[in-house]
Amino acid sequence: MAATRETFRCMMCGHEYEETVDKGEDKERSCPKCRSNSIRHLKKKKAAT
Amino acid sequence: MGLSSRKAIHIPFPQAVPCSYILNMDDCLGNNPIACGKCAEVCEKKAINYDDRDEVITRDVGAVIVAIGLDVYDPTEMDEYGYSRFNNVITSMEFERLICAGGPTAGHFVRPSDSERPKRIGFIQCVGSRNPKIGRPYCSNICCMNTIKDTLLHEDHYPDVENVVFYQDIRAFGKSFEDMFQRSKQAGTRYIRGLPGDIEEDPETGNLTATVENTTSGKIERHELDMLVLSVGVIPPMDLLKISGMLTLSKTADGFFMESHPKLKPVDAPTRGVYFAGFCESPKDIKESVCQAGAAASKSSALLNAKQIQIEAITSRIDEQACAKCGLCAGICPYGAISWKKGEAAVVIEAACAGCGSCGATCRFGAITMRHFTDNQLMAQVQGVLAEKPEDKVFVFACNWCSYAGGDMAGISRIQYPASNRVVRTMCSARVSEEMVLEAFRCGAPVVLVSGCHYADCHYINANRQTVARVQRLWNTLEKAGVRPERLQLEWISAAEGQKFAKVMSQMEELRKTVTMDEMAHAREALKPKPKKTAKKEAAAAGAAT
Repeated sequence: MAATRETFRCMMCGHEYEETVDKGEDKERSCPKCRSNSIRHLKKKKAAT
Repeated sequence: MGLSSRKAIHIPFPQAVPCSYILNMDDCLGNNPIACGKCAEVCEKKAINYDDRDEVITRDVGAVIVAIGLDVYDPTEMDEYGYSRFNNVITSMEFERLICAGGPTAGHFVRPSDSERPKRIGFIQCVGSRNPKIGRPYCSNICCMNTIKDTLLHEDHYPDVENVVFYQDIRAFGKSFEDMFQRSKQAGTRYIRGLPGDIEEDPETGNLTATVENTTSGKIERHELDMLVLSVGVIPPMDLLKISGMLTLSKTADGFFMESHPKLKPVDAPTRGVYFAGFCESPKDIKESVCQAGAAASKSSALLNAKQIQIEAITSRIDEQACAKCGLCAGICPYGAISWKKGEAAVVIEAACAGCGSCGATCRFGAITMRHFTDNQLMAQVQGVLAEKPEDKVFVFACNWCSYAGGDMAGISRIQYPASNRVVRTMCSARVSEEMVLEAFRCGAPVVLVSGCHYADCHYINANRQTVARVQRLWNTLEKAGVRPERLQLEWISAAEGQKFAKVMSQMEELRKTVTMDEMAHAREALKPKPKKTAKKEAAAAGAAT
């Protein structure tokens, strides 16, 4: 399954983090720091192996 | 396993339902012209028709029960267990076949490598289950009890054998299951907590060595075995995707079908008139499958025998004149309840519409009216709530089933939270359009919260994914307009999460205090609606977006 590294920002606490996202993934996101669900998808990065 | 051959005409397995013969035309000597034909000669009922072919039969039905079963995990990819390298490593299904009186060895349990009777057998649990590394994090539910049964069966056949079970946890939670587990231990089966990391084979004898960390003692152990049985998990059936598309069903993260509600509607599909029975919904044992099948049959007969069918009162209606024929609504309806053909106005199939309202929030032309939650009604609520002292209020859109009920839970639990929030209820968070959120900011709301059900709890299959996409777009819109995007928040709050509701409201109040009057004034100006494009241009833009 194709996976990419994506950047997310928590709109509650401002924490920015990267996560590997599988193509077609359907997952509830929450901030690893404050658990808020206000997670903004910022931009795509290069493909992961 | 290559231990015996099968005739071209055979019963698939002794307990097959129906217990009738099948003719494998790949192995048959041929019927054009007939080369053998002996089976047809001896069949008194004249049930063999060599010219029979697959055909598509069309039937009108009022209900559908989906009972498409399961597939078994293929352990080839887990190379550490040597399934594809060592002859004496078999799966639990192959074990069943070997020890079965109707199997290739007539129930004499022998090793595939030399046809000798093995005396030391290892069972490895959770092969293809509870393993996120291979994308199968779920418990297959049946493997523990199947292995316990296999050890008892094996020791019953051969009292001198040594059985060793390598496990993570033994999940013996059903009626009499614990008793069966204790009987297996009393019969001499050793249970070692820890899964082997490596299997080696002695090329001369074909014997196997399993290296395992016994997590109870904390020691590394090596076990010499004659044979190894991989207790393989179950996976969603191959046809699941096809059926899912045909009946507009959704899947859980594990890949099985998602039921309408895990507690209150465990056999109902979110699509009305469709019910589940058995493994396709989740891994379960025979008893549970039988219960679910009975419930599905009862529910479907109740539906079929009903003189009148009640449909949802809160449904969408499309104004044919206003419809721009773009088809966006049909594309996003989780129930496939909107029928649309290119160049024609979309039509709502009211019996199939569940009333989430995501179509209403998506339509850019005001062509969709969501009964009881119309755009005008919701906009009026936004404007009414924020008519006075908007700067003191946190504006909340809450879905009917979870977030709003979460607020109720906070209330009845007497949990304290700031009183600044003003909640507007919609059936689903997907009903909240971008325009409604922008209107709240235009009316001076310092903070807007959109809240809905957790992903797995969405009462409208997956409508709340529309909410996520919409909020992502809104963050971009706000940023472009110079409005701090953090002023728009998104939260999933379940009906049981009164504590979370209160915590989120406190966070929103803290956020509200950081928003200045200047920021609110700027948002009012910056988010003013632009002059409308003509419907024709917008339809073209919408069509390009799809």
